[in-house]
Amino acid sequence: MITRLLILFLLLLPCSALAEGFSGYAELKGFAYGERFSGEPYGAGWGTLYNKWEQRLAESQFTASLRAEWLTAPQTTPLVFDPADRKLRRPPISVPELWLRVPLAPSHDLELGRFQLGWGKTDGYSPADAFLPRDVTDPFADEKLPLWAIRLSGQEENLRYQAVLVPVTTPWRLPPLGSRNAPIASGALPEGTRFYEKDDQPPLPGFAALRLLATHGDWDLGVWARSGVRPAPILEFSLDPALQTGPVPVISVGRRYPREHGVGVEVSRVAGPYVLRGEVAALFSADRELGDALIGTLSVERGFGDGTLLITLAGNAIDPPVDPTLLFDRGLLPALIVAWNQTEEWGVWKLVWDCGLTRGDGLLKGEVGYNVTDTWKVTVGGDLPYGSDKGPLGALHGARRLVAALRRSW
Amino acid sequence: MTRKGFKSLLLLLAAALLLPLCAAPALAALDARALLKESESRHRTKTQQYSGDLTVVNKEGKVRKKGWNSYRQGYAGDSKNLIRFTDPPEVKGVGFLSLPRPGSDNPDQWLYLPSMKRERRIAPQDRDASFVGTDFNYEDMEEFDHEKYKVALQGEETLDGQPCWVITAIPLEKGGKSIYQKRILYLRKDILYLVREDLIRKGDKEPAKRLILSDIKNVEGHYVAARMEMTDLKKGSHTTVTLKQISFNRPQPASRFTLQNLTREGGD
Repeated sequence: MITRLLILFLLLLPCSALAEGFSGYAELKGFAYGERFSGEPYGAGWGTLYNKWEQRLAESQFTASLRAEWLTAPQTTPLVFDPADRKLRRPPISVPELWLRVPLAPSHDLELGRFQLGWGKTDGYSPADAFLPRDVTDPFADEKLPLWAIRLSGQEENLRYQAVLVPVTTPWRLPPLGSRNAPIASGALPEGTRFYEKDDQPPLPGFAALRLLATHGDWDLGVWARSGVRPAPILEFSLDPALQTGPVPVISVGRRYPREHGVGVEVSRVAGPYVLRGEVAALFSADRELGDALIGTLSVERGFGDGTLLITLAGNAIDPPVDPTLLFDRGLLPALIVAWNQTEEWGVWKLVWDCGLTRGDGLLKGEVGYNVTDTWKVTVGGDLPYGSDKGPLGALHGARRLVAALRRSW
Repeated sequence: MTRKGFKSLLLLLAAALLLPLCAAPALAALDARALLKESESRHRTKTQQYSGDLTVVNKEGKVRKKGWNSYRQGYAGDSKNLIRFTDPPEVKGVGFLSLPRPGSDNPDQWLYLPSMKRERRIAPQDRDASFVGTDFNYEDMEEFDHEKYKVALQGEETLDGQPCWVITAIPLEKGGKSIYQKRILYLRKDILYLVREDLIRKGDKEPAKRLILSDIKNVEGHYVAARMEMTDLKKGSHTTVTLKQISFNRPQPASRFTLQNLTREGGD
């Protein structure tokens, strides 16, 4: 309740900027669903208050941000501060950024703290980015989770490097199983099945990774390698007799985090008005339920006026030994992803089509953002997962929705 | 007089009549070129940096504002540029880096989007596309290089009490196809500084856009227009750019125009 009141209070504040170095936004979102799902109502709300503070300290840079949220469904955990983001559910208060960058030399930096990473060349789906933890509490928002990490990066002539050490695993955050946002086929389990999700501790160590990039003429080339704990869990379902106290089965769900090692190559080039990008990654795991993967992506991007059309094709050459729906970072593969983003005088609009090529499921997404002023923005849109509920997007049919959001930035 | 001698006399007469007609435009072209060369040599600087405010007013009077910091090293075709947006919050931190590529008219360009946490190589833009939703398009953002135009002195005119040379510039289509058929340049006589430009699109007779450069200041020995206004004469909208904290010829660190710097959030 305190968070709700705080968000409402700040939304009503008429100030345009709190102070130099501060920025942020307050946002209210409303969701209207096409159907009731396991007792969940037709509507849901989501309030966010985000504040960021940036400060230059001589040649160094310090950045911190704090996010407070209020969700009606799916519910967050009771008010708890979870700065490591290792709990099962999204905490109502979080620290998305808390980092210090210290230049070691003019083009060489050391960064310490909590920050997000973005590596891959291909937009839409990138194997270099897929291993990074994500929060799919809202399955259509595609939100990356920040990491506690140390990063050394630099550039000499046309060669760049990044070395990242992530000492603590930040696990993927999934929506509550059995909710409309969880990709489990409705017919796969008896009606009314309940899930008992154990808030088990993910392993402490994270991963280490190295990336080298070179630019030569029209070409950008890159190689990367990583080793460590895979933050996307393997779900383990079991029937615990002690939990079967009613007429409906109660399935106990645990999470396991295998180790995985990977190497990848990234290539992109400019060809006239097009940008072509490609990536291939070989992933290895001794875990028998995860196995190996050979993932490749190709994408082409073309600018049209103030907009961009992006087409990406992604696939895995090795069939996974586990139900691919539950491999959250690669469940959709093989897939075709088409995205059109356009900036207009009045705002922006985008259309996205994610199409699973094996199970015939997909997602159509449309969004229009209208800039009322430079600081107030209204967004309306919709997410329409469709097709077979055996696919990870088709299984989300209960999450078909219309979205409206009001954002005030400063 | 023989028939051959008569022909020669006719040719001589024709030449005598036509020579001044041919020489006049040639002389004008030479003068215009000389003026533009002199203007470029006077106003060329090694580096430039400023913070800018950009205001777009559409035909309904709705106002949009953006702020950014700009750094340039080099001039015209060989310049390196870094732009970092500072305002409004939705674009804060977005960076744009442009580096010249030897042997090519198109520079290498990258965009850094804080939301994606990575830089993206971008293809040469459609030159008619609007630059970040303004009345400037990408071709308007290129620095004027008179060597890519056939130029001629059209006359003289007084603008805001300042006598100006009026020069027409027709694209030679060298270095990319222009969207304009002709530019009409107004060069202030006393300081040879461009104060107005009328832009005529291909197929049009009247200017489609007009650029006015005003609030001309002498900063560190260099003239600079602290205010630029581009009006779309057909749409009825206009975009004003205001330059602040302008400085020239300050040494720029070599690391400023690098991809490593582009991806530094919170940095210049």
